[in-house]
Amino acid sequence: MDHAIIVEKLNVWIRGNHVLKDIDLKVPQGSVTAIMGPSGSGKSTLLRSINRLVELVPGTRVKGKVMVFGRDIYSEDPYRVRKDVTMVSQTPNPFPHMSIYDNVAIGPKIHKLVKSKKELDKLVRWALEKAMLWDEVKDRLHEPPTVLSGGQQQRLCLARALALKPKILMLDEPTANIDPVNSKKIEEAIKALVRDEGITVIFVTHTPAQAVRVSDFIAFIYNGRIVEYGPSRELALNPTHELTEKFLRGEIG
Amino acid sequence: MKGDKLLYYSLLPFAAVVIAAFILLFAVISYTSAPAIKEYGWRLFTSSAWSPSETGPKSSKYGLLAPLYGTLVSSIIAVILALPVTISTVLVIEEYAPPQTRDLIGSLIEIMAGLPTIVYGLWGLEVLAPILKVHVYSPLHQLLGFIPLFSCRPFSGYNILTAGILLAIMVLPYMVAVARDAYRSIPMTYKEAALAIGANRYEYAKIMMGMIKPGLIASALLGFGRAAGETVAVALVIGNVPLISSCLFKPGYTISSLIANQFSMAPLYPYMMNVLFTGGLILLIIGVAANSVAVIMISRSRLR
Repeated sequence: MDHAIIVEKLNVWIRGNHVLKDIDLKVPQGSVTAIMGPSGSGKSTLLRSINRLVELVPGTRVKGKVMVFGRDIYSEDPYRVRKDVTMVSQTPNPFPHMSIYDNVAIGPKIHKLVKSKKELDKLVRWALEKAMLWDEVKDRLHEPPTVLSGGQQQRLCLARALALKPKILMLDEPTANIDPVNSKKIEEAIKALVRDEGITVIFVTHTPAQAVRVSDFIAFIYNGRIVEYGPSRELALNPTHELTEKFLRGEIG
Repeated sequence: MKGDKLLYYSLLPFAAVVIAAFILLFAVISYTSAPAIKEYGWRLFTSSAWSPSETGPKSSKYGLLAPLYGTLVSSIIAVILALPVTISTVLVIEEYAPPQTRDLIGSLIEIMAGLPTIVYGLWGLEVLAPILKVHVYSPLHQLLGFIPLFSCRPFSGYNILTAGILLAIMVLPYMVAVARDAYRSIPMTYKEAALAIGANRYEYAKIMMGMIKPGLIASALLGFGRAAGETVAVALVIGNVPLISSCLFKPGYTISSLIANQFSMAPLYPYMMNVLFTGGLILLIIGVAANSVAVIMISRSRLR
């Protein structure tokens, strides 16, 4: 099996705190992996190590290797890494000064992915459709994103990330701040993206139910270490590690 | 609770003083301007003649057009020159410089804001103007003389452009302060979003500047307001000739430098004092307009 991401002996320190400890992780291409664990366990930091956003926090030290499709991203141009590995944040953060259209178009414009306005229009529409937002915004593409609800804004952020035609999509607790209907739409969008586009998805969650619903694999992370990693259903039904079991029972978190 | 109310009512008069001072300022300046406006009418704003006569108001000629032109042009030059520097400075301070450098630049700018303006004026008179004449204006005239702005020969360094450049330096600290506040109000999540789509430094800066556009407009307006009101430094370098020319190497005049230069003679000539107050009224209106729009823009620029 081909691996989209291979993490080897990854250690991250932020201002002296050892946040990630000897992380080893192999993510198969075209799969969905859920990173699950209690708050403060290092889930988001792991995600940010894969697109090198982690370096932006002053006082961060990264040791180890992260390979994306065979390329060691820490010896590459970070801007290119972030084009191939895009991320959706926990809080909806569409650019407030740009229209809905421009929020999606900004990525392709920056990376010169299209040659004409027509191509750009097509790409924007494609991204909005994949984010299951097109029907709701097609008549107000040139309005500011503030006219949208929080859940719609989050799907706009998904579209912004998708417009870059990423190979890997990362989502950091994408449904933590939005309502169940919008959460469901995002979950469906993720499944469809993997099925139809072959995108590899990693997302952070702390709800086991969501992890099982959406992902093929779950990595359970606790206190900076991956405690358990395996096929979702198996891990959820028969956890081999005591900590995983406790987390699933809701005793830690 | 009763104490709260008591405190509120006992502090109210002090707040009222501010409002009263503003109204009084407007009233006195308007009142003193009125006779000049009544006597000379629109000519006061449409002519540039300045020939006071001791014999009577009919033989005196007063026109504020050239100083008004000089005020607007020198202030616009100042803002045009200072805005790119403001943006670069904010980016350096907030994004790129290491902490020590950042603090150093930050303190230097604050010190710049606090210096007496006469110091800038003397420096402009003795250092800036002569250097600019030899090393900037003359080459500029030779190379780009076909452009009307640079078409006349720079006979001295004392002209509208020098005033604009000196003003740009003087208003920079204020503009940086406003733009920096706006930049700091950008929530981290938007910065992360820009980087997460792979924006490089230039594109990142472009997105951030787009986000604080109202703050940048406010910064420019406040800079303009300060530049328009600056008096002594400008009076030292602008040449003080009531001229309107499309060429920036010609000397000019500003309303504030006119007031400063003519004030001591004003009591000798009928109506001159009233004319100078009319100039003050114009400055007051420009200042109030620029600052009010700036305040509105600042409140709009808050991102959190």
